This record gives sequence, structure tokens and C-alpha cells, in this order.
Amino acid sequence: MTTASGARPRIPDTITDPLSGRRISLLDWQAANRRASWVLAGFMVLLLVAIGYLLALALDPGAAWTFIGIAGVLAIGQSAAAYWLSDKMALAVSGARPATKDEHRYLVNVTEAVALGAGVPMPKLYVIDSPAPNAFATGRDPQHGAIAVTRGLIDLLDRQELEGVVAHEMAHVKNYDIRFASMLAATVGAIVLLRDVVWRGTAYGGRSRRSTSSGGGRGQAIAMVLLVVVLILAPILATMLRLAVSRRREYLADATGAYITRNPEGLAKALQKLRDYRGAPLRVSEGVQHMYFTNPVARLNALTWLATHPPIDDRIARLRRM
Amino acid sequence: MSTIVVLVILGALVLWGINVYNRIVTLENRYQNAWSQIDVQLKRRSDLVPNLVETVKGYAAHEKEVFDNVGRARAAMAGARSVDQSAEAANMMTAALGRLFAISEAYPDLKANQNFMMLQEELAGIENKIAYARQFYNDAVLQFNTVITTIPGNFFAGPMGKTKHVYLEVPEGDKELPQVSFGATA
Repeated sequence: MTTASGARPRIPDTITDPLSGRRISLLDWQAANRRASWVLAGFMVLLLVAIGYLLALALDPGAAWTFIGIAGVLAIGQSAAAYWLSDKMALAVSGARPATKDEHRYLVNVTEAVALGAGVPMPKLYVIDSPAPNAFATGRDPQHGAIAVTRGLIDLLDRQELEGVVAHEMAHVKNYDIRFASMLAATVGAIVLLRDVVWRGTAYGGRSRRSTSSGGGRGQAIAMVLLVVVLILAPILATMLRLAVSRRREYLADATGAYITRNPEGLAKALQKLRDYRGAPLRVSEGVQHMYFTNPVARLNALTWLATHPPIDDRIARLRRM
Repeated sequence: MSTIVVLVILGALVLWGINVYNRIVTLENRYQNAWSQIDVQLKRRSDLVPNLVETVKGYAAHEKEVFDNVGRARAAMAGARSVDQSAEAANMMTAALGRLFAISEAYPDLKANQNFMMLQEELAGIENKIAYARQFYNDAVLQFNTVITTIPGNFFAGPMGKTKHVYLEVPEGDKELPQVSFGATA
């Protein structure tokens, strides 16, 4: 594949799907991702309903709907909080401050250009005062998008590389990855919360039930065992699923970013520079690692079930094959 | 019974027609809006030119030809009345500014001037934004052209008076990106 030498820039709009290895178009992949998101969201809702139901069977079969209702309200509450507040929280914990045109003219210009190319509104821009090169995006939709980059990133990268990283982050906003990730994380949070409530509840409830009712017996016991198994496995399974989706979306954001800039090499070089960076690491709390351009904890860019990002070398190789 | 069937089919056809019609109008608006984004950047660039010329003149007053070129490009920009004329004037301006920045390399004092450095970054930024906005414009035109030349859009394009729109050509040598060949299969 060579670059078109005519007036129209080369458009790398087909990419290799990381799962099947087939060449598919960027738009098809975006659509597939959206479908996968809905399936996953539906699965999470079912899981919560199941937990509510098992909880009812174990404690009070007559009040099944009450328990399902409580589980639902918890999930909806957490998701709503994530929907409205996740961007503000993410910016607050990262210590980011708004970028101004006078102080960060270069960054502002680069971002405005990429926003024009992507056809999205200019996101709010923030700078994190750290020498470690990294960036993240947040915001529930393109109208509320925000991008934060570290001072180290601005210093380390040249214009085309910085454009690549900004385009990658803009792709996350454009593909609604942030909304999806934060709401999914909120649902997992709701399950964990339920688990902890049940843990504490059974410490008293278990004893009092035994003393008051000798009936119920086997059915309740089985439901209780099932509930414990589900409550232990559900958060782990949900987290693994979420991370798998997160890794796929990193590939998609790389591909979309390369498409916006028409320059996969800029992004590939940026990834190389970030991989080879050996200075002070970025201090990031565990809950927000997944948002960053590359995971601030280097070993979590490796190929494992717990990785939030695909291996950097693999991301570079994919960009160079576009 | 059969009238109901006919009515339902007619209703569906009308809805479908509205849908196609709206799609064509939406896409036309998109590329027109994309053009206005380019236009904004072109105007901002023109506005910065006098300041730049003044600054450079302070160090390289005798480079008269370069200043004249920039002045002509700016006049052409102000006088442009159509997309074609604007695009042509924009290309003139890009070339003239390119030469101006090229000669400035020979004046170390100028290159160290704060105002010059700010203007240089600002103009490089605008140049870049124009390139991106032009790319988005061409994407939008491509979408529009595709819809009005394929079924069913082509049945509507004629009566709506829509014809294929032209792409903005990028002048050779004006591309920001180096032409890299990735040699994918090599």
C-alpha cells in the first residue's frame, strides 16, 4: 500500500478487526461496537435483576419485586451519577487546570485543527502539570467533551504526534467510549455495593433467620449459596468484560484518530515515544487508569486479562499496517 | 380494506421520500457549513497579515517583493466573491506567506522576536486548521455527491436541482504531511 500522490489524501478507512482478523470498514466497526455496548448493558441489567431475585429467594420470597427494585434503583442511581458527574470527577482527581490560549497557544491550535478535521465541537482543554507524557478524554458526548494532556506530552511530541494523540482522545469522545466506560463502571460499582450490603446483612440476618424460622429450609439455602457465588463472580466477570471492551475501544480510537489526521505514522511515533519514556511516572489513582492514552502503570499495557489497554507495540504495529 | 392497504403504502412512500429529501438537504448543509469553517480561518489569517508584515519590515525592510506578494494575496482574499476565488486567493496567500517565512530564516533577530514567534505559531496553526477544515469539506462533498448519484438519491437530485459539487484541490507542495509510504506488504 502506498500513499496516493493525487490531491485527495489517502483515507485509511478499513482496518483489521482485532478479534476476527478480517478487514472491515471503520463505520462498520463503530456500529458493531455500539451494538456490543447495548448487549453488554442489557447483560448488566439482567445480572442485577437476577441478583435482586436471588436475594429475595434467600431472604424473603414474598418481596421479590422489592429486592429487584432496590437493585435497579441502585444501578440507575450509580449510572445517573456517572452520566452527569464522571467528567467533573475525572478532571478534579487528575489535578488538571484549564488551558488558555495565551499560555498554551500551540496545544489550543492543534486541538482546534483536529476538531475541524473530525467535525466535532472544540472540546474543553485541560493541562496536567506532570512531566510524564499522557492524556485522557472525558465527557458524556461530543457537546460536553473535555481533553486533558500533561505538560510532558506537549514538551515531548512534535506537532504531528500531538495531533495523533489529540485525535485519539477526540475519537473516544466521538465514539461515546467515555459515557459507556463510566456507566459500565458504575454498574459494576452497584453490584459491588450490593455484595457488601449482603455480606454485612448475612452476618446478622443469618443468625436471626435461623432462630425465628425453621422452615424455608432447602430452597432458601440453595438460593443463598447461588447468591454468594453470583455476588463473588459477577464483579470479576463484569470487570473482565469491561476491560476487554476497553481494549477493543483503544484500537478503535487509534484507527479513528489515524483516520481523522490521515496520518497513522504521527500516532505510531507518539506511542513509541511514550513507550520509551523513562522519567517520573504519572501519579494516577487506580479508578481512572483506564481513561488515559496509555496506562500510566507500564505493566498494565501488557497482554493480560487485567490490562485496560492493548500492548503498545501491538497498537503501533496495527497503525503501521493501516 | 384495499383502500387502507393503498393508503398505508402511500403513507410509507411519502415518509420514505421525506427521509431521502432531508438526507440530501442535511448533507448539503454540512458541506456548506464546512466551507464557512474554512472561510473563518482564511479571514483570521488575512487579519494577522498586517501585523506580521509590520514586524518583519522592522528587520528586513528591503525584501519589498515578498511584502508586495503578501499584499496582493490579501487584496485578492478581500475581493473574492465565490468559493473558487477564495480558494485561489487562499493558495496565493499560502505561497506568499511561505516565502515570507523562508526569508525570515536569514534574520536571527527577527526569529527571536516574541511577537514574530507568536505570529508564526498562530499562522502555522491556522494553516493547519485550513488543511483540516478542507479535508472535512472534501469528506462532506464526497458524501453529498455519493448520495445524489446513487439510488434512491439520484431520483430526487434532478427535481431538487442538485448537482455534483467539486472538491477543493490541494495545491502541490502545500501539504503539511510528508508523503510517507508505509510499505505495508514489504
